[in-house]
Amino acid sequence: MAKVLSVVVILAIAVLGQALTPSSFLTTQDQRRLQSVFEAAAPYTDAQSAQYSVLGLKLLGAAIPNAQDACKGLSKIIDGTNVASIYHASAAAKAIGNCKVDVPEFKKTLSDAIKEDSSVQDIAFAFLAQKNLGLPADDAAVSKALLAALKNDDSPASHGYAFLAASQLKGDISKFVDNVEDVIAQADEVDDKYLQFEGGLFVTSLVVDGAYKLAEKTKKAPTIAQDKVIKFTNYFMSRKHVHQLKSAYYFLSVIKTLSTNNFHVPVAVSLASPVAVTQADPSVKVRVTDLMGGSLGEMTVTAESARHLGDDAVVLSKKQFSVAASDKSLFELNFLNAKPAKGFYKLTINVAPKKADARLIGTSGAEVEVKVTTKISVENVEIGVADKDQTTAARTTKLVHPNKAASVLEADYHQKVIMKFQLKDKSSGQLMNAHQTFVRLTNLKTKQEIIFVTESDNTFTNKFDLDVGASAKDFASVSGKYSMELIVGDAVIENPFSWLLADISLTFPEGGEAKADALSQYAKKPEIKHKFNVPEKRPPATVSMAFTALVLSPIAILLILWLRIGVNISNFPLSLSAVGFHVCLGAIFGLYYCYWTQLNMFVTLRYLGILAIPTFLFGNRLLSGLASKRKTA
Amino acid sequence: MPEKLSNVLVKFYDEYMQSTPKKLKIVDAYLVYVFFTGVFQFVYCCLVGTFPFNSFLSGFISTVGSFVLGVCLRLQSNPQNKSEFSGISPERSFADFVFAHIILHLVVMNFIG
Repeated sequence: MAKVLSVVVILAIAVLGQALTPSSFLTTQDQRRLQSVFEAAAPYTDAQSAQYSVLGLKLLGAAIPNAQDACKGLSKIIDGTNVASIYHASAAAKAIGNCKVDVPEFKKTLSDAIKEDSSVQDIAFAFLAQKNLGLPADDAAVSKALLAALKNDDSPASHGYAFLAASQLKGDISKFVDNVEDVIAQADEVDDKYLQFEGGLFVTSLVVDGAYKLAEKTKKAPTIAQDKVIKFTNYFMSRKHVHQLKSAYYFLSVIKTLSTNNFHVPVAVSLASPVAVTQADPSVKVRVTDLMGGSLGEMTVTAESARHLGDDAVVLSKKQFSVAASDKSLFELNFLNAKPAKGFYKLTINVAPKKADARLIGTSGAEVEVKVTTKISVENVEIGVADKDQTTAARTTKLVHPNKAASVLEADYHQKVIMKFQLKDKSSGQLMNAHQTFVRLTNLKTKQEIIFVTESDNTFTNKFDLDVGASAKDFASVSGKYSMELIVGDAVIENPFSWLLADISLTFPEGGEAKADALSQYAKKPEIKHKFNVPEKRPPATVSMAFTALVLSPIAILLILWLRIGVNISNFPLSLSAVGFHVCLGAIFGLYYCYWTQLNMFVTLRYLGILAIPTFLFGNRLLSGLASKRKTA
Repeated sequence: MPEKLSNVLVKFYDEYMQSTPKKLKIVDAYLVYVFFTGVFQFVYCCLVGTFPFNSFLSGFISTVGSFVLGVCLRLQSNPQNKSEFSGISPERSFADFVFAHIILHLVVMNFIG
């Protein structure tokens, strides 16, 4: 039991640990960008873009450019046989106001579309178009057709269209309301932070928007859990840079719904001041608004805690923000009053309306990140030259920022250059380390730069130790005068600096290595030439010739042996077939010789094919003749 | 013992000269010729080196192939083996021998380079 409980507690903490409250809203800039998306659609070439553009502009409260021209244009681009086209045009016309689109076949097209085997989208569009055009609609039939069509296609998008249509239906719409919970349950969660439907921004906006429109109609809060609303909202806000007209309209529509509806209004807590909190600008400002950037009335904004991201130290708790004089939705808190150490902080913020408002959600656990920066000073700077193998302390000069050493330091390859410094946090007076500390040596003549990193020990003393002889390679053994600079920087340091410490004359051993030209790596490389395999050395011609003769000599053995055995050449039959056979055989081997010396395989095979026929015929006749002769003999 | 060995050899030689048909002797002479050709090539390869390797191989394969084919011809046309190759006349085996040579040397020529 205890185990289960602890798991539950851990889970609860994990859930609470998630900052879900939206951290952005549609700023004026965002709204202007969306407006330009809508305006760019004009002049309208199709009813769909006309609707989205006109309705989008209306939602933004912007004027519709050339409204009457647009209205006239609508009649031209409308397709009287297409339900969607009629719907888009009628919606646009309604939004323009004082604009009438009428084509005789409207009525029939629309009423024909309301039947059970139409798609949900068509039924919804037809019904909404009828409403827009002020045509009589059979609400019961629409409701029945929609429910039937939803059985065939229960994708979230279809349900979204059904919600939109149902929000205009008279009569019993409880079946659609019941669907809301099921459809919302189909949304996919991403990173524990976002909820979205397959199909992206358009489908998600459509469903959520439809659910709230339906809720307005029934005057009952939609069955969507508050954390889900917030996750949907986070998803919408992550996509606020949308450029596509259709998605932009649906996005804007749902954001508007989420900031004006009577049930759930997500609160957006966003940082309004720079991330860096400095002595000059010590206050953290947050803006608490609805998603459209509208004020939510008088609020109490409390910083629950501020946690250092490095060591988890909590520097303040339950500090109330004060309302900015200029803007009621802007709240500020002097963060440095809490004396925070430098570093990154996460502020957890709760908001509460002065007049209780149950609509507001996401009021606790909003998070903003700020960093506290500080000024530093550099202290105890010592620079000197010491012998490499001498253990006695080197003679060093003290330097004070930002002065340069008066004399030129000199070091050769038996010596080393030593430099030490400490960094002090000016506000707390403590020693500290910086993220980036470099020493840059620049050759005064060639302007070549060599950069070293300094190392700090546990007493916050940064050390730079240059063994001149050992680092000759880094300097390409170029002796001469170098300028030595100290560069210090960090994300939490307000005054990073680059300080010219001294000029230093370095002497490297002569001719250490060939000076590598810095540009040599870009120089033209020698051309690559293809090289054939070099043939191996052949034996002298005499040896080859001797062996050729030797290899051929067994022919003599053959002839001698044959003569001794007594080959009966006179028995050679002087018939056509015998002569032809031997000639053809000879020709074949002649052909092979030609193949070896000049012909290729294909030509050879062709000739071989030609020669094979007479050879076969002659051979067949000759041998069968011999055989029959032997049998008779 | 040594004289006995020479006796055996002499007897063997006499036997061979008397009882072997002339046709087989001709084939045997051919086999000896091919054998020595192959041996000389091999000696060259051992003494001088295998380069160019494909030429050596094709020459050597040519001799080995010819030798094998010659042995086949001798087996098939030997009257003592008549029972083994009853369906094959000496003329037929000679035709096979010629045909196999044509194919073998086409390959050899292709490989010789």
